[in-house]
Amino acid sequence: MSENTDKSSTGAAILIENVTKRYGGGKKPAVDQLTLEIPAGQIVMFVGPSGCGKTTTLKMINRLIEPTEGRLIINGEDVTDINGDKLRRKIGYVIQAGGLLPHLTVAANIGLVPKMLGWDKSRIAERVDELLDLVSLDADTYRDRYPKELSGGQQQRVGVARALAADPPVLLMDEPFGAVDPITRQRLQDELINIQAELHKTIVCVTHDFDEAVKLGDWIAVFDEGARIVQYDTPEQILANPANEFVENFIGSGAGLKQLNFARVKDVDMRPGVIGRPEQKPAEVLELVTLAERRNAVILDQRDRPLAWLSREQLKRMTELPKTRDENLPLVSTGSTLNDALDSMLQASTGSAIVVGNRDQFQGLISVETVMNAIRELRENASRQQAPVGNNTGEIPRVNGHGDDAAEDEAGAGSHAAVRTGRHAAPGDQAPSAGGSAAEPASASAEPETTSGTPWAGTRPEQGSSAADGTPSGGAAENPDRPEGRP
Amino acid sequence: MSSFFAERWEQILSASWQHFSLVVQCLILATVIAILLAALCYRSRGLTSLANNVSAIGLTIPSFALIGLLIIPFGFGVVPAVIVVVFFAVLPILRNAVVGLAGVDASTIEAARGIGMSRAKTFFRVELPLAWPVILAGMRVSAQMTMGIAAVAAYVLGPGLGSYIFSGLSRLGGANSLESVAVGVIAVVILAQILDAALLIIGRLTTSRGIRV
Amino acid sequence: MSTASDSAALDTGRRQWTGLIVQPIVILLALGAVALWISNADLTDTERVTLSVSYLWGLTLEHLKLTVVAAVIVLVLAIPLGILLTRGPFRRYTTPVMAIANIGQSAPAIGLVVLFAFWLGFGFEATVVALILYAFLPVLGNTIVGLRGVDGRLIEAGRGMGMSAAAVLFKIELPLALPVMLAGIRTALVLLVGTATLGAFIDGGGLGLLITTGVNLALDKVLITGSLLVALLALTIDWIARLFEQVARPRGL
Repeated sequence: MSENTDKSSTGAAILIENVTKRYGGGKKPAVDQLTLEIPAGQIVMFVGPSGCGKTTTLKMINRLIEPTEGRLIINGEDVTDINGDKLRRKIGYVIQAGGLLPHLTVAANIGLVPKMLGWDKSRIAERVDELLDLVSLDADTYRDRYPKELSGGQQQRVGVARALAADPPVLLMDEPFGAVDPITRQRLQDELINIQAELHKTIVCVTHDFDEAVKLGDWIAVFDEGARIVQYDTPEQILANPANEFVENFIGSGAGLKQLNFARVKDVDMRPGVIGRPEQKPAEVLELVTLAERRNAVILDQRDRPLAWLSREQLKRMTELPKTRDENLPLVSTGSTLNDALDSMLQASTGSAIVVGNRDQFQGLISVETVMNAIRELRENASRQQAPVGNNTGEIPRVNGHGDDAAEDEAGAGSHAAVRTGRHAAPGDQAPSAGGSAAEPASASAEPETTSGTPWAGTRPEQGSSAADGTPSGGAAENPDRPEGRP
Repeated sequence: MSSFFAERWEQILSASWQHFSLVVQCLILATVIAILLAALCYRSRGLTSLANNVSAIGLTIPSFALIGLLIIPFGFGVVPAVIVVVFFAVLPILRNAVVGLAGVDASTIEAARGIGMSRAKTFFRVELPLAWPVILAGMRVSAQMTMGIAAVAAYVLGPGLGSYIFSGLSRLGGANSLESVAVGVIAVVILAQILDAALLIIGRLTTSRGIRV
Repeated sequence: MSTASDSAALDTGRRQWTGLIVQPIVILLALGAVALWISNADLTDTERVTLSVSYLWGLTLEHLKLTVVAAVIVLVLAIPLGILLTRGPFRRYTTPVMAIANIGQSAPAIGLVVLFAFWLGFGFEATVVALILYAFLPVLGNTIVGLRGVDGRLIEAGRGMGMSAAAVLFKIELPLALPVMLAGIRTALVLLVGTATLGAFIDGGGLGLLITTGVNLALDKVLITGSLLVALLALTIDWIARLFEQVARPRGL
């Protein structure tokens, strides 16, 4: 992990408290008394049928849509009534196709928010280059281009870079990868996972693609009409124990294979590759390959990014090693799911693929056999197939978590919220309704882990990045308990 | 005003009719000319851009300047008036016809040829009907514009309502001069609305329901 | 982004520039031809006075003054009105305002010029007011159409980044609407040059005077010169406006 982690602000917790949104007259509300906690530093995916209120909910977090009722608390601060523009400058926002301003260059697009925040020019320029690098775009090539000169995937990358420009603790994404082709989408998802592993933002992402939700989400909130939370849990739990038929239908068929979607490349054994550098002679590299009894060599540039993947035959024919990147390399990222890795290998018909990590650095090689073994293992261990969210698993199974009746749920969530925000916010900040609900002891006890749960909102600042780490292996002991989602 | 109108309503109606019929006849003629020109141009890129340029440059020429130029060869009367009105009426229709015809999906034309339609038949049965709404939009622009141009054309003693405006101007301050101008202006506005509505209705009736917006 | 569409875009771009270079050359050639013709023509005394360079230049300046004064006032009034009519609560007035403007546009220019002469007296003022009224719609209409045409998602992206409503207007909406607005402004300018000719009927000055004089006194050469000069002036203004459009269009669109 780079030095970025130290200076960048990691995620902030979000609490949507008893929020209702009504449009126009007294029709059915688009969002109906929703209480939802978004844990700091994690990715929460909103899924649900179109018109279910998931996008409305997302847009209420940065108050692009103003809630009719309820409170919005970010990092312990009640932001329901503060200046919306100032609030939004501190929240990254990514929309489909990037939403880049076509009349501004890539650099100007990324620099928009820093400019509004009054950064000086050299700092903005530095930041732009840093971010382009982060989203795997060469700064010198792309800085001065206009959006129309970029591919869809590149535009989307710039969109992400722009959202991260002022280093906001929270990132909102509205169907971010909906407008690109499947292969690019997979690449972008992988990159987002890598970026998140580095930055630990709190990310809320709306999608209609359940596979995407499974792949990206630490948590998935399944919405039904009126932004009613049907289930809010880890991808594993939702796949294993869908709350009801609605969720089952939403998951669709092949839930078993979908589990390939959260076993990641970095969890299986990679093979090291034979490495060559462009300035070496092909013969030298060929000798290394022969010595190692391998068939191929990976050529890396100075920053360890793969340029080419050459067979012995190719090495024999060459007089000079390539210095530019072969765009057709079968690349997968450490954050890729095994599913994606398999796809890439089959597409490239190489039977294996190059694994890259952050900023496209070479990590090793992965082959079909490796993936097959992992699949076998997954199958065998299906019963204890557990939790990318690491240690959370012990606390997650909750029998009474589902199917509570609505009134109890609402009150329970209210009290829950009161406990948590209480650590951070002045008492006066609490919404009256939440306070009222909290006064009901009976309903509070209906949520056993409310009392036993770690009060993460209070400890977060001291925990640093380790607890914010929502990645499979990195979870610390005091990992956040299960976030609450109650309509 | 009302007495002015009451005394002369027959003359006003007849002038209105003259004005209207001048514009409508010129518009029909212009549409035929424009579609013919567009049909010749739309399949060549060079000719298409020529047609567009002619249309754009033609529209920058002030109508009064063209009227002035036409007085010398044609003298005063209906001929220069008709030429001016037709000239300006052609331009927007030509532009739209070229755009509309060029905008017909190539695969549609191929399909028509594929089922054995002749070139001409393809044009009249496929391309023209598909481009028709765009052409009609050009006709509406032309109609409104030529209503005003026809009024200026009264300067060369063309028929129509323009004569009320010019006679009011020449008798400025005299009896009924303001009424005369006002009648001319208002009648032109009303006629323009009637013609526009008529074109809209014609559009509804002649546009295939499959491509109606 | 396919290379085909790139090269097509490049191609139309190149053709626009070619047009921009050809147009002034044609105008200059035509102007030269007119000058040559006048200087070699057999002129009467009246014609010689009327067609003297200084007199023609004076009329051209008058014509330009009518055009520019009216244009500036139109821009100052119509653009803010257009912006206002695309802002939240005022949006519902857009349709009625545009309907009225459209009906007004069908009033004959000559009629408007004369009507304002009745009201404000003969001269410059009445002409300018009539011109303003006549050129108002293209600018207003294109401002509204241009602003409405801005992709709502870009506005949302701007708001989502924390831009204020004013920042969104000036940094996103207006730049993106600019090409459409400029096209409207060019249409208005061309209309203004043409309509200013009619100012001659009410002593508003300008090159139209050559045409009316030519007709009234049966001076064909004056008539032809006047008509040609007006047409050339209109083409020149059109060219300047096109040039400006090309230069001011935000890159990247």
